[in-house]
Amino acid sequence: MLLKTETYNQQSNFVQYCRDGKEVAILGTNPERLPHYRRLVFNIIKDTLETTFPISFKYIDTEIWDEMVYNYFSSHKCNDPQVWRMPKEFVDFCKAENYTTKFNLPFLNDLLYFEWLEVELYMMEDDTYPQVNSTKDWLKEKIAVNPEHKIIKLEYPVHLEKPFEAANKKGDYFLLLFREKETGKVQFINLSVLFTFLIENIVLAEKTLEEIFNDILYIFGINDLEMLRSEVFKFLEDLKTRGFVLGVHC
Amino acid sequence: MSIKAGIGFRKDFAEEFLSGSVLKPGFLELAPENWMKIGGYWKKQLNQLAEMYPITAHGLSLSIGSPDELDMDFLKNVKHFLEEYNIEIYSEHLSFSKCDNAHLYDLLPIPFREDAVKHVSQRIKQVQDYLGRQITIENVSYYTPVAAEMDEATFITNVVKEADCKLLLDVNNVFVNAFNHNYDAKTFIENLPLDHVEYIHMAGHTKVSPSLIIDTHGEAIIDPVYELFEWTLERVNQVPVLLERDFNIPEMEEMQNELNNLEAIMTKKWEAKNVIENRNI
Repeated sequence: MLLKTETYNQQSNFVQYCRDGKEVAILGTNPERLPHYRRLVFNIIKDTLETTFPISFKYIDTEIWDEMVYNYFSSHKCNDPQVWRMPKEFVDFCKAENYTTKFNLPFLNDLLYFEWLEVELYMMEDDTYPQVNSTKDWLKEKIAVNPEHKIIKLEYPVHLEKPFEAANKKGDYFLLLFREKETGKVQFINLSVLFTFLIENIVLAEKTLEEIFNDILYIFGINDLEMLRSEVFKFLEDLKTRGFVLGVHC
Repeated sequence: MSIKAGIGFRKDFAEEFLSGSVLKPGFLELAPENWMKIGGYWKKQLNQLAEMYPITAHGLSLSIGSPDELDMDFLKNVKHFLEEYNIEIYSEHLSFSKCDNAHLYDLLPIPFREDAVKHVSQRIKQVQDYLGRQITIENVSYYTPVAAEMDEATFITNVVKEADCKLLLDVNNVFVNAFNHNYDAKTFIENLPLDHVEYIHMAGHTKVSPSLIIDTHGEAIIDPVYELFEWTLERVNQVPVLLERDFNIPEMEEMQNELNNLEAIMTKKWEAKNVIENRNI
């Protein structure tokens, strides 16, 4: 490397000061002006996180939030050159640091993850939509869905309740998030276990509805096929109206 | 011939660009980091804008002055973005924003040293080789030197000449630095390789104390910066000029007034220069 070790050391010390604000000797700097760099750099991180996680920021005690952000920036090396993607690293950091326990915020991992996914889906690169046919028989064909989606499981219903109310309702919550093709807006739908099974089989196993019905009858111990069909069709029609179900594959 | 100034594109007033009802820039500048590898609503907006305006790219995360290795994956994405939108000017800051594998997402001053000149120049060459084009490097504002062993103008000049790259002359940054570090702005500009200037930035700033200006891009351009701009135009070739406004966004009419002010100066200076040069022929 053409850069001398001494020059590198000055840059490294400067960066470390910007990250943690702790005094360090840096050759030839104006000590009165160094704090401006710390402030400017830290504000970028702080503002980006507050914008990405508005619900977390609103409900978590300010002192705790500030401590989380300070710890994150001072000890974590932000890896992504695109600043809008950086908050994903904050989600992973808080999980790794076990902040749910440390700060007694049981909902924290779920809430940060949920808020991040909304941003990620909103911004993610366009995926290829499948060719669909809307006249074919839904029962015997493979159903085509919006490819820009995620199905996730949460322990706390942070998508339905305020965080500290959700904290008292630990359980299994399934959620479908998808991006509307025309508007680009992200929608989320709370799913029952049965409908999660249905969607996952449509998406991952690419089974026909008839095949999935047989699995559901067996796994969920349902006897009334007509009622099941009726409920599933109603659900899929709703998803079609919302722009998740597109039709059946050509 | 009408001489038009460009403006830095911000999502805050994206609709205005599409309607074109008040703001009428000659081109748009955007940061590739915020627009590459995205889809959905903003990708559609970008595609529409790219059909309406020429685009220049002004990077934030290349970190050309970093001691770290160049991020070739990042550069690959930048290259793809430049090609996708047929972008001719790709500029970056003569600063660093990453060190020890940590991104800081802001522009930090490189030590003005000989080894840094060689290091940065070699990295610019590497980028230029990979992209297959010259890139344009901007003089940045800075609030304290770091381990400097030469003056700023010498540092910039040596880098530009050794790397054989273009120069983005940010006139506001020169004004800010001249104030903050007590030097003469015009002498500074005269000492730069002005034949390498390919692009000019203009912006407003904020005086935070009697001895310190911060380059906020959050205020209107002040008269002394316009004057320095006018003086500078007499010394450089006709190049694109951009208005930067990132915070404290005013009414669109006010922004258009600033564009009009810049264009009036550009027209006055460059048309006069063209007339004189044509007479000499």
